Amino acid sequence: MSTTVPLLAARDLVKAHGPTEALRGASLELRAGEILAVTGASGSGKSTLLHCLAGIVRPDEGTVSYAGDKLHTLPEKRLSELRRTDFGVVFQFGQLIPELTALDNVALPLMLAGTARKDAQVRAQEWLERFGVLGQEALRPGEMSGGQAQRTALARALVTGPKVVFADEPTGALDSLASEQVMTALTHTAGEQGTAVLLVTHDAQVAAYADREVRLSDGTVVPQEVAA
Amino acid sequence: MTTSYTPSRTRVTADLRLAWLLTRGSDRREWWRALLTGVGAALATGLGLVIAVLLPMQGRYHLNDTFDLLEEPGTRAGVIVALMLLVLPVLGFLGQCARVGAVHRDRRLAGLRLAGATPGQVRRIAALESGLACLAGSAVATVFSVLTLLRLWSHPGPPAWAGIAVVAVLVPVLGAGVSAFALRHVVASPLGWIRRVRPARGPGRLFRLATGLLVLLALYIATTPVFGNPVGFALGPFTIFAMCLLAGAVAVWLTGASSRQLGEGLAARAGRPEVLIAAERLRADPWAAARTHAAVLLVTVVGSGFMGVRQVLLTDLHTMDQQYYAEGIGFYERGLDLTGAAVLIGLGLVLTALAVGTAESLATRRRGLAAQAAAGVPYRVLGRAMLLETALPLLPALAVAGLGGMTIGIWYASIATENGSAQTLPWTALLVPVVVYAACLLAAATSLPLLRRSLRPAELRYV
Amino acid sequence: MIAMSTRHILLGLLASGPSHGYDLKRRHDERFPQARPLAYGQVYTTLQRLVRDGLAEVDATESDGGPERTTYRATADGERELTQWAAEIAPPAPFVTNEIFAKVVVSILSGGDPDAYLRAQRAAHMGRMRELTQVKTAKGADLATVLSADYALNHLDADLRWMTTTAARLTTLTAEVDTA
Repeated sequence: MSTTVPLLAARDLVKAHGPTEALRGASLELRAGEILAVTGASGSGKSTLLHCLAGIVRPDEGTVSYAGDKLHTLPEKRLSELRRTDFGVVFQFGQLIPELTALDNVALPLMLAGTARKDAQVRAQEWLERFGVLGQEALRPGEMSGGQAQRTALARALVTGPKVVFADEPTGALDSLASEQVMTALTHTAGEQGTAVLLVTHDAQVAAYADREVRLSDGTVVPQEVAA
Repeated sequence: MTTSYTPSRTRVTADLRLAWLLTRGSDRREWWRALLTGVGAALATGLGLVIAVLLPMQGRYHLNDTFDLLEEPGTRAGVIVALMLLVLPVLGFLGQCARVGAVHRDRRLAGLRLAGATPGQVRRIAALESGLACLAGSAVATVFSVLTLLRLWSHPGPPAWAGIAVVAVLVPVLGAGVSAFALRHVVASPLGWIRRVRPARGPGRLFRLATGLLVLLALYIATTPVFGNPVGFALGPFTIFAMCLLAGAVAVWLTGASSRQLGEGLAARAGRPEVLIAAERLRADPWAAARTHAAVLLVTVVGSGFMGVRQVLLTDLHTMDQQYYAEGIGFYERGLDLTGAAVLIGLGLVLTALAVGTAESLATRRRGLAAQAAAGVPYRVLGRAMLLETALPLLPALAVAGLGGMTIGIWYASIATENGSAQTLPWTALLVPVVVYAACLLAAATSLPLLRRSLRPAELRYV
Repeated sequence: MIAMSTRHILLGLLASGPSHGYDLKRRHDERFPQARPLAYGQVYTTLQRLVRDGLAEVDATESDGGPERTTYRATADGERELTQWAAEIAPPAPFVTNEIFAKVVVSILSGGDPDAYLRAQRAAHMGRMRELTQVKTAKGADLATVLSADYALNHLDADLRWMTTTAARLTTLTAEVDTA
């Protein structure tokens, strides 16, 4: 029975950015360990949905529940803590601090959680190796290729052992080969760790790495047909 | 062949129109730059005008009791030096303002290059943009200054008028020239890569040359007593001016070099995330800190020097007023108060510039900061990192600047002792760097609300 | 396979009303410009077969001065067959086929739900793409497998992108098809 209870669930989310309604009653469920792709045209509300689910944005209406917590009612301090401990985020770019080395960027979430820098660096090193970023620990994001930077970002998102990784167009700035490496690394590791992934993308080839697809159109979820 | 073709005039008009169109359609922060540049230009013009009027004066004048310092040539020279010193923080302020919205401007100019504009054209347009802002500021300042002058002094001579005209024209022209010079790298590349991959450049050749000249001057001053050349007491103010400049320049070099050392050292050792972030940012661009803090250091040197001189002078006056100064010490006290006010105005200016610089640095990085917040990096860590970025490099630099000011005070005290008064240790000079340090942290802290706003997820939408 | 498509396309064209052979050929060629133009003989034999199978019947025979012309119309069986075929999913194949387009147009002609069809087709394509992605990312997959999976994935992706664009422009397409 417990497997049918979703890890993260959104009900009837409404969210407006000024006069434009990005979400108009979107609902979605993410089960533990599942990789779910959210697809849709630009402006369909994909990113806003991800922001609501990750507790980055509070919806105007509707509920977001995560493991028994009502995310939309939690104070910002608790949300920030949750994002640090239970969630990991990967964006198209910008989530790495440009002045920090790859190693320190990955160690940062552990340091924020109170781990001593030396121990944090040891674990960060393991994760960088796992994502194939070898011998690049001392480089800074600007000195790496796009693919290496994104794999470093994945290592940073997964280093704290989160329950959910939120990835917003993680391959948006990459060519198809680098994109393939990033997606393979993400799905394999998530599978091994039992981490659920919410993957926002407009690219069907990226969405094909997921177990399931939810399509958004005009801020609502498009009803799914069962494939014949 | 029926119409006469005037290429240069047509070109300037076209550039002017483009500059106006581009400015009008630009980002809100670029309007801030124009406004602040105008204010800075107005201040520079105002100071320049007073200096221009005072310089040609010969002998004794009587204006008004409030301005009795201007009556004697000797004290008038002192006022001129004080005003010249005040121009320096104004220049620092202008330099900082030029950075507001600079990313947007660079992108816009690079876009112009992509659209086919020649480098010369882009440089002219950029120069016109800042020239216009300076012209507005200079015009306002000139009008008000001339009106005030006519009320105080019924018959200004031709040299005064000539000086006024020169300053009023020179400020906008210099503003345009400096901005064209500062943008020489940006206009070179249509893709506008300069700012993104900008290497941490040290101070330019001009700055090296200026420092070298100041060192030579300092050596000359230091050795003159040995060779028996008389250093007249009237030369004192100019010597103070030169020494202040030197101490300021040394402080800039020191901030740059120490920021790098400090950044590298701390980055390797830091155990706390905020210290690590601040240290790595210092290491990545140590000269950014040096540029931002140059004017702060200058004001600290002048301020602590002034406090030292003031203490020595007042002690002297109090011990010997019965002997020499029949007219009482009120005249000197008023002079000191006016100088103190000038130093405070200078401090206010550099603190504003520091606050503007901090805010601009945040505004440029707002998307990255929003991404950090989204990833769970707490606001207080980012806030502390921002404050540490100001606090860390200023600490050694302000200490040296304070010592420089203290040296000026001790040097003055030694001259006073030679003239027969009691030795005083100008300890009040040491208070200045402490006060300035606290004020700088407060100025940087004014950006905290902006940081909180930058962390809103809406900023994630900007690319 | 092609003959089967022609049958259904002619049935689809008949869905908008009785029509004679030459008219059907002309409308087919206009509607599917990328397809090979139908030979009149092929239209004739296909119509004969439709009548034989009870999917179409002769509506009228007329000759106003010129040669004799026979108009045909779809039977109830024919309409059922058409609806069934149009709703059926084409096997997602790594080839550029315009079968999907044909189904969309026929669906519009017969008053079906082309949007639902496109969604179902998309889901089927995505399902196949997921399978191929699993094959290619499985540990120990050799490069030949990865490359051939990639080839198929890229073609399916092209189909998908086309379907997305088409779905977004269905209203305009419907208006165009209905007025023609």
